[in-house]
Amino acid sequence: MIKKITKSFEYIVALVLGHLTVLKHIFKKPVTLEYPEKKAVLNENFRGEHALVTDSGGNLLCTACGTCQRVCPSFGTIEIEKDKNESGKFYPKNYSIDLNKCIFCGNCVNYCPFGAIVMTKEYELSNQKKSSLILDINTLKSNYSDSIIEKKEK
Amino acid sequence: MNYLYYLYIQFLAKYHLPEAIGMITFPLLPFIIVAVVLIVMVIFLVLLERKVLAIFTQRKGPNRVGPWGLFQTIADAIKLLIKENITPVGAEKFMFTLAPLLAFIPVMAIWGLIPFSAEFDFISYSVGALLFMTIASIPILAILLAGYASNNKYSLLGSMRSVAQAISYELPFVFVLVAVVVLASSMNLGQIVLAQTSVYPFCGWFIFPSFLGFLIVFICALAELNRCPFDLPEAESELVSGYNTEYSGMRFAFFFLAEYAMMFIMCAFIATLFLGGYLSPFGFYLSTKIFGNGHLGQILVYFEQVFWIFLKTFFLIFCMMWVRATLPRLKSNQLMGFAWKVLLPASLLNLLFVCLYKYFLFAK
Repeated sequence: MIKKITKSFEYIVALVLGHLTVLKHIFKKPVTLEYPEKKAVLNENFRGEHALVTDSGGNLLCTACGTCQRVCPSFGTIEIEKDKNESGKFYPKNYSIDLNKCIFCGNCVNYCPFGAIVMTKEYELSNQKKSSLILDINTLKSNYSDSIIEKKEK
Repeated sequence: MNYLYYLYIQFLAKYHLPEAIGMITFPLLPFIIVAVVLIVMVIFLVLLERKVLAIFTQRKGPNRVGPWGLFQTIADAIKLLIKENITPVGAEKFMFTLAPLLAFIPVMAIWGLIPFSAEFDFISYSVGALLFMTIASIPILAILLAGYASNNKYSLLGSMRSVAQAISYELPFVFVLVAVVVLASSMNLGQIVLAQTSVYPFCGWFIFPSFLGFLIVFICALAELNRCPFDLPEAESELVSGYNTEYSGMRFAFFFLAEYAMMFIMCAFIATLFLGGYLSPFGFYLSTKIFGNGHLGQILVYFEQVFWIFLKTFFLIFCMMWVRATLPRLKSNQLMGFAWKVLLPASLLNLLFVCLYKYFLFAK
């Protein structure tokens, strides 16, 4: 009997303490973000839409070696069309990333020997058409210049 | 009531209306006020609940419709009104329609029993407290009716659980009510409030001699209103919604409305029984201090009394939401065990203590 009473007393104490803990949360700020108006501050390592790095002259660093293609776990995401220019250097004539297949693992960025591909912080990718989710070389280039402009603005 | 009546007649005389109209319409006025206030209150209670729960869980709550989401519930209500009223095949049509009305009308009726101020105590029966408990148990019947009439075994099971719970929690509630009646020596709710006046501010409130009773009544109110942690008849995450599964549109809105209205009335009732009803917690009324004992001060006292009881009621409602934000749901056997093994003996203990208190302190 006494054991039961002491045990129920413990319960009551725990109940009161629990309520006080919940009450504490009134004074904390809400963690919700009103998304379309306010956007979350993203991590430095955030993996968003891809971009092909260009140097100051506007030339791609990519040499179309195909490493990204090989390390990509999702088969057929990256497609590269190789070509040689006049000075004998390889360059990608066409480079496309299919975001329908991409899993945003970031392997292509990590393994690129020239640092020619990066991931931007762009994440609002939803679209009406599947075909518009296939990024070709021009969009990948402009993604990079856009991300640089965004960085400068900040 | 006489003073307000005098004012009302004077107001009518300004527009050259005879006194006879005043005599006829005056008793109807409180009902109209009460009905309008109740519906507005319910609409904003739903919003308040969502907002308070959001603050407790560090969210923002509804904030899109209107400023700070104020019109969210109105939008929801319009949505419910527009929706189709579906009657399931094989349902008892008459009872199916009757149940939501039966849930809502008693709530409207008992709303008038509570003394909102010394002058606004317009259904003042000598057995007011008993009448309150009697009418308050009619919606339980409506719940059983709704479960039976919808021709759905899950609805029936949900309603049976709900009724079993409400009936077993009514018992300790009534025993605590007896204790309050012993303290006040009256069953009239107005008299119960007046019995809580004392020389010192808020020392005469019945929460002090019977704090245990207050806790029991609060828990019983939670159970009777099917609120968390006793919300297993309509456990949102497990049972969809219990007895009102088959209801849609306006009929569902009636159940919803009745539930929140009942919550408000229960809290007002507890505030009347234990927290001094419309009495000011300072021992004097602010309006008489500020505006003097004259004409204006005397009128404003009525409104101040309404303000105090609403403040106490909203404090209790906040506590209910606080409990909902904190506690998980009980199991069915725990629920019944708690009512019969803990609350009933505790309420009897409370009654014994209150009787001894009354006998030794107020015996002449």
